[in-house]
Amino acid sequence: MNETISKVGIISCSGEEIPEGMIARQGVRRVLEGLRPQQTVTLCLPLFLAGEVGERRFAREHPTITVDGCDKLCAKRGTEQFSGAVNTSLVVTDILGGPARGCHRSTRHADKADEQAVWLVAERIAAEVDALAAAEVPNDVTKVPATSGDVCACSRPSPNGKLEVNGKSVIINGLPLIFEQLQKNGLQPGNGSADTLLETVRIYHFIEAAEEAGYRDSLQAAYQAFCQRGS
Amino acid sequence: MTGQISPSLVLIVTCSGIGKVHGLVSREAVYHLTDKLLPGQADTVCLALLATGDPETRQKVQQTPCITLDGCPKLCAYKNVELSGGKIAKGIRVYDTMKRHHGANFGTATALSEEGWEVVEEVAAEVVKIFRQEAAT
Repeated sequence: MNETISKVGIISCSGEEIPEGMIARQGVRRVLEGLRPQQTVTLCLPLFLAGEVGERRFAREHPTITVDGCDKLCAKRGTEQFSGAVNTSLVVTDILGGPARGCHRSTRHADKADEQAVWLVAERIAAEVDALAAAEVPNDVTKVPATSGDVCACSRPSPNGKLEVNGKSVIINGLPLIFEQLQKNGLQPGNGSADTLLETVRIYHFIEAAEEAGYRDSLQAAYQAFCQRGS
Repeated sequence: MTGQISPSLVLIVTCSGIGKVHGLVSREAVYHLTDKLLPGQADTVCLALLATGDPETRQKVQQTPCITLDGCPKLCAYKNVELSGGKIAKGIRVYDTMKRHHGANFGTATALSEEGWEVVEEVAAEVVKIFRQEAAT
């Protein structure tokens, strides 16, 4: 890949006191690791204060999305106070339609309620990343060469999935995570899974109408294999 | 990095460390302390809230002895508590504890492995030890 892309910066609140902080943080991680690994980058919010000039340039160099756990908006206010203007401000309680009921502060106790909340937040962040990427990028935004190695912001390999669709090799960001979530939600492999698979993957990966049939077959087969492997 | 601890309450302030596993280890150590090892004696505050100057949070760190847990040498937790005029009883460098487990796989910034959880217990035990030693003096 020789083209260049602008990395979207995502800043999460730290939110140690509340479960929504964990949801914000895990949602951001999911986008960085699985859903939009090549288009996103992050920074620890308190580093704006503790860090140096380089860290404080962050929001001036990246179109930035902040993800806050509550209406105190620490991520948004902190980023604007110490770095630069924010393009999009998200709040977990707004996305979930209220407090994260049944969710936990610690990942040790995370259960289905946490998983679902994290997915809702991650999907919303990913949609906002797409919206920013689609918008015209200002000239002063840093252009970062796109990597071909599928590496996320913390330099770990991202869990992409490769499919053969209509004889072509296609890479889908976060496919194993999507399969994992659908499996947890009880989706059984087989003929009845194709519609759900197609509609879910379409959220993260553009599918042309003419290629839908090919994607349906390939996704169904890949999901079947995923479930048989047990992971 | 030492000071006085009241026997009644301590604030454990962790870095928010979202880029690497070190941040998650620090954060989980806090919950292990507040929820299990020192319930009613240890509490936490959002570091971002402190960093953005929330008056109530600043007052808390100024009035209550703090133990900071940092996942990297940038020491965000320590520096932000210090900048807020907080009372730092002890600053713990979680990455030093992790260095002692050379070659271990701690998991990721999203989920800890078994070895990651072992370090959580180790860091939390270190905090309890400091808390009890300081409270006894």
